[in-house]
Amino acid sequence: MSEILVENVTHHFDAVLAVSDLSFRVERGEIVALVGRTGAGKSTAFNMIMGALKPDQGVVRVAGHDPFANSKALRGLIGVSFQNDRLLPWLTARGNIEFGLRILGVPAAERRKRADSWLEQTKLDGAGDLYPHQLSGGMRQRVSLARALAIDPSIVLLDESFSQLDHVTSKTLREDFGALARRLGKTCLLITHRIDDAVEMADRILVLAPPAHVVMEARPRAAGASPKSLQESIERALGGEDGAAEGTERTLAGGRPALVARGRVA
Amino acid sequence: MTDAIPAGAAEKREAGKSASQLSTWLAAGAPTLVVIAVILGVMEVASWYTPSYVMPSVSSIGGALWRLMTLDLHHVLTTLLRLAIAMTFAIAVGTALGCIMGMFRPIQPYLRSLVIIDAGIPALSWMLIAVFWFRDPEIRIFFILSVIIIPFYALNVHDAIRALPKDWVEAIGTFRPSLFQIFYLLILPHIVPYILMTTRSIIGYAMRMVIFAELIGAAIGIGSAMGLAQGAFEMNVVLAWTVLLVILNLVFQQAIGLIEARVLRYRPEATIR
Ligand SMILES: Nc1ncnc2c1ncn2[C@@H]1O[C@H](COP(=O)(O)OP(=O)(O)O)[C@@H](O)[C@H]1O
Ligand SMILES: [Mg+2]
Repeated sequence: MSEILVENVTHHFDAVLAVSDLSFRVERGEIVALVGRTGAGKSTAFNMIMGALKPDQGVVRVAGHDPFANSKALRGLIGVSFQNDRLLPWLTARGNIEFGLRILGVPAAERRKRADSWLEQTKLDGAGDLYPHQLSGGMRQRVSLARALAIDPSIVLLDESFSQLDHVTSKTLREDFGALARRLGKTCLLITHRIDDAVEMADRILVLAPPAHVVMEARPRAAGASPKSLQESIERALGGEDGAAEGTERTLAGGRPALVARGRVA
Repeated sequence: MTDAIPAGAAEKREAGKSASQLSTWLAAGAPTLVVIAVILGVMEVASWYTPSYVMPSVSSIGGALWRLMTLDLHHVLTTLLRLAIAMTFAIAVGTALGCIMGMFRPIQPYLRSLVIIDAGIPALSWMLIAVFWFRDPEIRIFFILSVIIIPFYALNVHDAIRALPKDWVEAIGTFRPSLFQIFYLLILPHIVPYILMTTRSIIGYAMRMVIFAELIGAAIGIGSAMGLAQGAFEMNVVLAWTVLLVILNLVFQQAIGLIEARVLRYRPEATIR
């Protein structure tokens, strides 16, 4: 059984059709990236998967449960992180990481032990007693990811979790998280508008065109796949001259970030 | 890992704060002391040229103040106790009403209208109504204070919950908390600063209301003692009570400031230049 199943799902906001006949599956232990331009309906699809939004039509199943109608069934099964860290300012980094464990009723001593282990695994040693405002953006996002992982969910959902960080921070965080998720065998659904995020992390990439539906599927880790040509074919699938508006941001050899659009440096 | 961890930054800031705190307080206190000295000077000079029921001498006010704080301490303590009981009750009920308004949509418009109507009723009306409704002076005072103070907390807590970032609610919701956990782990910590802020802004007003209520119908308490002193033309005693009330208000403000600094230590300090 697929861990995540999305079948012929449609959703609209008043006159705006955000998701149109979207179908895909994510198997256990797989890391799948949904890539699409801003406004493609990625977050709308994401919200239906995490149970915050009801599809107009179609079927969504997460670990076999309907995430909207049977929301409580996913208690302890999903870990979610977003573009912004959404940390609670009155809790320290450790307190934030412990938050999900508190909701699940894990005793204090056990919570602390697990939070400390996550601080270490997300390379936040020494930051446990600091409050969110005392942390850098990259560190806050690490805490946010640790908070999602600390409950040991079988499914991890990430909506643009690496997109708001500068390139170097985003890259190290991506690498660290990717390695961690693979080591722990988590099923991962990553949503991003940045092609490099997807190419670097995912086993499988689904390219979405607005209103959200799959127009291309790619396996960046398959034998013979070249990241560069993959990047270009995804850019083509995203299509349109204004693909450059969102662009694929890459770090050039000199470490200077630049906007690279369809092979030309803008 | 490229992010540097500012190890010990918090501790260092704490240490620096306590060292400069004394001099900061002295600097902040100096203008107040100057103002007090000028006021006392003017009062003293005025007392030389007027009868004592218009302006008593500073030393007779000082003497009266000393007697208040020794012989009449029960008045002070009674008033403070009444204030404490009514404030505690009003904070509990007001916060509960605010939370109900914030958490249960269908009831919200009715409850909010009720609270806003209450907030519009003048304190004086409540005082007169209380005289008709209740015989016991303690119940009168408690009633008056409660109905006056509760709306402040109810409305501010409701507004606080409305200002709760949707992002947080959504992020916390992914863990599938119970309604009680949402209240206890998210809403309660979020509204604490608003409750403290409300307390800071109304404590002086609440104190004046207890004293008014005591003036109208109580045998002990600062308000009734002031009424008696006025009846006996003891202007020095009236002024001594006034000085004491001003001091009490400063003490309240300081105390709430300290509680805020302790409870809200997680907040970044914004410096506006
Ligand atoms: N709550 C909402 N109300 C109305 N329109 C919305 C809402 N959320 C998203 N939309 C619209 O749905 C479309 C898809 O948005 P979204 O799913 O956020 O895209 P993405 O995450 O891919 O950037 C956009 O046109 C957006 O304006
Ligand atoms: Mg989005």
